[in-house]
Amino acid sequence: MAENSIVLGMADLLVVPAPVKLITLGLGSCIGLVVFDTFAKVAGMAHIMLPDSRGLKGAEKVGKFADTAVPALIEEMLKKGATRPRIRAKIAGGAQMFSLPGASAEFLTVGAKNVRETKIKLQKMGIALVAADTGGNKGRTIEFSTSNWLLKVKTLGKGVSEI
Amino acid sequence: MGKLIDISSFDDKCLDAIREVGNIGTGNAATALSELLKRMIEMDVPQTELVSIYDIASHYGDPTQIVGAVFVRSSGGFGCSLIFIQNEDDADLMVELLLKQQFGTHIPIDEIPSEMRDSALSEVGNIVLSSFLNAINMMLGTQHQISVPGVAHDMLSSILDVVASIYGQMGETALLVNTELRVEGLDEGKISGHIILLPDPDALELLLEKLKVV
Repeated sequence: MAENSIVLGMADLLVVPAPVKLITLGLGSCIGLVVFDTFAKVAGMAHIMLPDSRGLKGAEKVGKFADTAVPALIEEMLKKGATRPRIRAKIAGGAQMFSLPGASAEFLTVGAKNVRETKIKLQKMGIALVAADTGGNKGRTIEFSTSNWLLKVKTLGKGVSEI
Repeated sequence: MGKLIDISSFDDKCLDAIREVGNIGTGNAATALSELLKRMIEMDVPQTELVSIYDIASHYGDPTQIVGAVFVRSSGGFGCSLIFIQNEDDADLMVELLLKQQFGTHIPIDEIPSEMRDSALSEVGNIVLSSFLNAINMMLGTQHQISVPGVAHDMLSSILDVVASIYGQMGETALLVNTELRVEGLDEGKISGHIILLPDPDALELLLEKLKVV
């Protein structure tokens, strides 16, 4: 069966059955979180922008914040036939695009906070994080394929790696 | 960040007032760039835009296109972030133009070490952005400190994540003042650069108060 490619935008969150290719373009400080269950043959991705919803509710998309995206993604996986012990996670992103010596601004280090919060949330939910390509100062384009369950990470000037 | 104003509810009167500030900043930035490069600068009327934080990258073009960007933070009365952003090709042409101006000979971009490229780009960005800020602060009667500039070359979408992380924490709308400067390159054809002003939400409050809009 041909793989269907789906591109996720900012704060999007999606779980779909295999075969599928899930793509996110140009992650900077944002995180691409992939979860999958190779037995149930289902995979999901979230494009997380910020670490903490701080109680913000309403029209906000659940995929926007690490603390809301992780539970929503896992719940969606379970609905589509995955079981929690079999779910594996991979993450990429969380770069710091600009360094300004001497300037302090919370948003400049948001990438590292996104990584930390996503990892903590996965751990709390008992989800195994099996691969990560995070931090640094370069953007990443990612593609997750259910044909080999690998996450392809393209970084400007560094080429392509598969994790 | 104390009480927040609701950016998404700004009416045309507010947006026009903010655009006027952008206009004054842009005029000064164009003058400074013109002095630096000894060339005439064309400028557009700035746009004040309310953009969904989910659509910022596609709003400015292809999210994966490679851009060169210079970023500064300004703290003080009118707190804001500023980005001078160009297509990577235009950034290269701008570097060649500045170095030609300074050394008198044309050095092709491939022969310029990357540290020198970044330092030239950072010089252009710094002059454009600090002149922009000086004019705004002069007009508002506020004091400000400007950070050392940061330079990055990457995908548009990765660079503009910074916009989403500034405005995302308090809502789903970003307020940007966007303007384009153009200068004639060494060859025929124009080199273009965009100034994007991202006012801190409490700076917007101050601004509207000073301009007696609210």
